[in-house]
Amino acid sequence: MLISYRLRRRLSTVSLYTTIGVVLVAIAFPIYWLVITSLKIGAEVATYPPVYIPSRITLENYTAVLQGENAKFLVNSVIIALSSTFLTTLMGAMAAYALAKTYLAFWVRRSLMLWILVTRIFPPITTAIPYYVVIKNLGLADTHIAVIITYVAYGLPFVIWLMLGFFQDLPADIEKAAIVDGCSMWQRFRQVVLPLTLPGLAVTAIFAFIYAWNEFLYASILTSFTAKTLPVMISTFMSDQYLRWGEMSAMGSLMIIPVMIFSAATQKYLVRGLTFGAVKG
Amino acid sequence: MNTHATRQPNDRQTGTAPTVSSSGAAALPLGRVPVLVQKYTRERWVSVLFLLPSVVFLLLTSVYPLLYSLRLSFFSWNMSIPFSQPVFVGLKNYANLVQDPAFISSVKITLIYVGAAVTIELILGMGLALLATSGARAMGLTRTVLLFPLMMTPVVAGILWRTLFHSTYGVINHLIGLVGIPAQTWLGSPSQALPAVITVEIWQQLPVVTFVLAAGIQSLPVDMYKAAQVDGASRWQIFRMVTLPLLRPVIIVVLLLRIMDAFKVFDIVFMLTYGGPGQVTEVLSMLIYKTGLKFFQIGQASAMSWLFLIFIFIISFFFIRELQRGES
Repeated sequence: MLISYRLRRRLSTVSLYTTIGVVLVAIAFPIYWLVITSLKIGAEVATYPPVYIPSRITLENYTAVLQGENAKFLVNSVIIALSSTFLTTLMGAMAAYALAKTYLAFWVRRSLMLWILVTRIFPPITTAIPYYVVIKNLGLADTHIAVIITYVAYGLPFVIWLMLGFFQDLPADIEKAAIVDGCSMWQRFRQVVLPLTLPGLAVTAIFAFIYAWNEFLYASILTSFTAKTLPVMISTFMSDQYLRWGEMSAMGSLMIIPVMIFSAATQKYLVRGLTFGAVKG
Repeated sequence: MNTHATRQPNDRQTGTAPTVSSSGAAALPLGRVPVLVQKYTRERWVSVLFLLPSVVFLLLTSVYPLLYSLRLSFFSWNMSIPFSQPVFVGLKNYANLVQDPAFISSVKITLIYVGAAVTIELILGMGLALLATSGARAMGLTRTVLLFPLMMTPVVAGILWRTLFHSTYGVINHLIGLVGIPAQTWLGSPSQALPAVITVEIWQQLPVVTFVLAAGIQSLPVDMYKAAQVDGASRWQIFRMVTLPLLRPVIIVVLLLRIMDAFKVFDIVFMLTYGGPGQVTEVLSMLIYKTGLKFFQIGQASAMSWLFLIFIFIISFFFIRELQRGES
């Protein structure tokens, strides 16, 4: 009786892990395919039947895509993503701190937060057309600043909402002590609150960075060459260089490397970030 | 800098420090505000200064563009004609849209896209979350693997799946060929293109549903499960009677988020099909993009944007009301 129970348990564990294994392999396969295609020699890239395990690996696709203008687009992507992350996090954290405290009237904070929540719902395409017209009229088309402005606009509500949660998680006593010590609000924010919410701040900044790094729509309509970013560059592989899958995959792999490194650091707060703080994980 | 260095002789704030309240899922995290014992005049002004950069920035970059777009939606303006000026046409753009077969079909396609993707994500995500939370090592493994599609640049996901779906050299056609199914055209086929795009959406967004539901399941009280097991409930009964009702708020949150985000889809459609073949994958974002930024019918595209916005707000409010009802 006992043995059969144990056996049944073991069998159910085995079947559990088999099922998960099959599902995860199916989900992971495209990633494997991207990376392995980027490492293939030209003759093994677009073939029938497809080459699942390359006979030898090469880095020639990587050296090919990192030449010429592409290096410039990489630099553009880095500049735009870092600047917008910095601005969004700084402005968003300050606003969130003011909203987390009770100095302002309830209705003021409540309506501000509703407004910010509503901003989260807008599909990016609905602001794409006014952005295009306004940026063009201002003479800012194809500049870094134009793209950064739109990324900060889109990222701010997210940062404010997420940081609000982190600030509210902070025990009130800590700040009480700082108030008794006579710290001004800015000093409390700068020297007490921010250091204590540093992990939250870092995670929020990472989410903001990943958004800016991955964004395509605004970058594609606001830039043409000078400020062109990597996603826009990758999208051009589609039309004129259709079967250059090796280089395309190398570019794609390069794009996801920073994201993967950073996102590993967000694991603990991932769910909170994904749900805009609605579910605390 | 040491905080003691800035200590002031008399403490200005002696009243109760502002307390922080937390609230349940998705409600505005304000809760009840404590009665202020003292007026923090100075703090109030500093708070305004803290808020000012963000508020001004959002007014300029989020409110103004939308109002400008609303204004443009009452004009007829083809921006591709040099020196053309917007001409006021009243509600004509909206009137045209209601009868425009391209717009109506786009609304339908968007609804099918969102409905199918979110439903399948919810079912698969629930299954995967249940599997992942029932084994000790399973959660870590699932988390690691699922992070990849989730964080992947959508444009890269688009080109990657384009190669997978390729009719001649694609892996998918090769794999189904092994079990005797003839090669399909996938993205080039009017009947298969939309399901193919939805597959990519599910692949990328399934992790969101899985992670959030798994976090929800892990936070459920263990006692309930033990009690149900003692009572001899089957696994299905436990899921149906214990897990599902307790998870309701989390499910609504994840549904709301996924629906809102699925409506925004643009990148993967742009990369995979560009709305084609014909119009079968032309979701609203794609149609607005083409109308406004390819054919430069700015007025028409702005009207579409506003109808799109109003539509999304109605759906979102329905869900938020549902959430608040669950809380009270």
